[in-house]
Amino acid sequence: MDYGKLVESVAIQKWSVLFDKLIDLILTSKNDDKMPSQLANTLLSHWQKDVLNTQTGLTVLLEAAVLLEPEKTVAALTELQLTNVAEQLKEALVKT
Amino acid sequence: MVKFGIEFVPREPYWKIMYYALQAERGGFSNLWITDHFNNRNVYVTLATAAIYTNKITFGPGVTNPYMVNPVFTAQAIATLNELAPGRVVLGMGAGDKTTLDTVGVEMEKPLTAIQESIGIIRKMISGESVAYQGEVFKTAGAKFLFKPKGKIPVYVGAQGPKMLGLAGKIGDGVLINASHPKDVEYAVNCVKEGVTASGKRLDEIDVAACTSFSVHEDINKASKAAARVVSSIVAGSPPQLLERHGIDVKKAEEIKEAIKANDWGRAFGAVTPEMINAFSVCGTPDLCMERVAELLRSGISQFVVGSPIGANVREAINLISEKIIPHFKT
Repeated sequence: MDYGKLVESVAIQKWSVLFDKLIDLILTSKNDDKMPSQLANTLLSHWQKDVLNTQTGLTVLLEAAVLLEPEKTVAALTELQLTNVAEQLKEALVKT
Repeated sequence: MVKFGIEFVPREPYWKIMYYALQAERGGFSNLWITDHFNNRNVYVTLATAAIYTNKITFGPGVTNPYMVNPVFTAQAIATLNELAPGRVVLGMGAGDKTTLDTVGVEMEKPLTAIQESIGIIRKMISGESVAYQGEVFKTAGAKFLFKPKGKIPVYVGAQGPKMLGLAGKIGDGVLINASHPKDVEYAVNCVKEGVTASGKRLDEIDVAACTSFSVHEDINKASKAAARVVSSIVAGSPPQLLERHGIDVKKAEEIKEAIKANDWGRAFGAVTPEMINAFSVCGTPDLCMERVAELLRSGISQFVVGSPIGANVREAINLISEKIIPHFKT
């Protein structure tokens, strides 16, 4: 799945709320074991540079959120009225 | 000026703790404490990760004990950490918790002596000395590093009982008091003062930290619900005298203990009363927490440590503390 393309279609005005939703899904997830260490390190490296709230950062967060909490991520995107992104993600999840 | 510290239990994966640690560093916290229990993730691996990802926060084990880890290894670990993050490392040493030590068949032999001896050995080793020591608990025969340790590493003593608190005041660069209620903290600080005075120092020459069970949320019910999870365990592990000092029904505490033994966590959390939460945690809205922090500061502490659960949502709680509580005490 091209997470970068999905994030690209999100309006900049929604980045901040999307960041809050995704990071909460990740940090409160009980599925810690599904987080690959390389992705975790990338996430931390972006956090260290304080760029998680950018297109590149949100791409990492979206990938992590989908791995840990796929259904909740689709629900969060729908709640944020990012219907198009939610639909694309849903389709991709059905295929995998 | 008061310092704010934050404590994490590495039962959580390293990436969650590092996320929060960086958030706390940016939010004005000055100290990061990582607990040390064999059944959680390793404290020094977690601290090494903190050394890499954070930039200015002071950090250390809070606390390790000399029974599970021989003092020479503790000295080695913190000296190595201090190479990774020079000047940012501190060491918290305590006697350990009996339940955990019992699990692995390690006896808590002469805790006061063990702490005094181990700190003596550690201090000598991190200053590069060869240590030949014949103590009651620990013995070394010319133990010395094959590398040159750099810098000074402050040693904090984790203490609860009056004798250990006195010893902490006497030999520590700091003390970590495990208490959340002003009555308990005031009592502890007085014990520390006795040790400080006996060693010819002043209380303000050491860092006196209150390590609290902390839970903040704009909705007091959410804060209380999160606190109840931790308070239930504290109540279950508290001696009757401590419970009575806070007017807590010992029978109710027994009920919680039984529920925990039976793994009936719902019953255990449900049996926690507001009085228990008040006695064993700092809990509530940011305004209520600020009132309690102010009370604790009047007892003479110089560092306020927020520990588990921190809040119903840890990220939101760190934001609340950083935006509302810390600035209130820094101005």
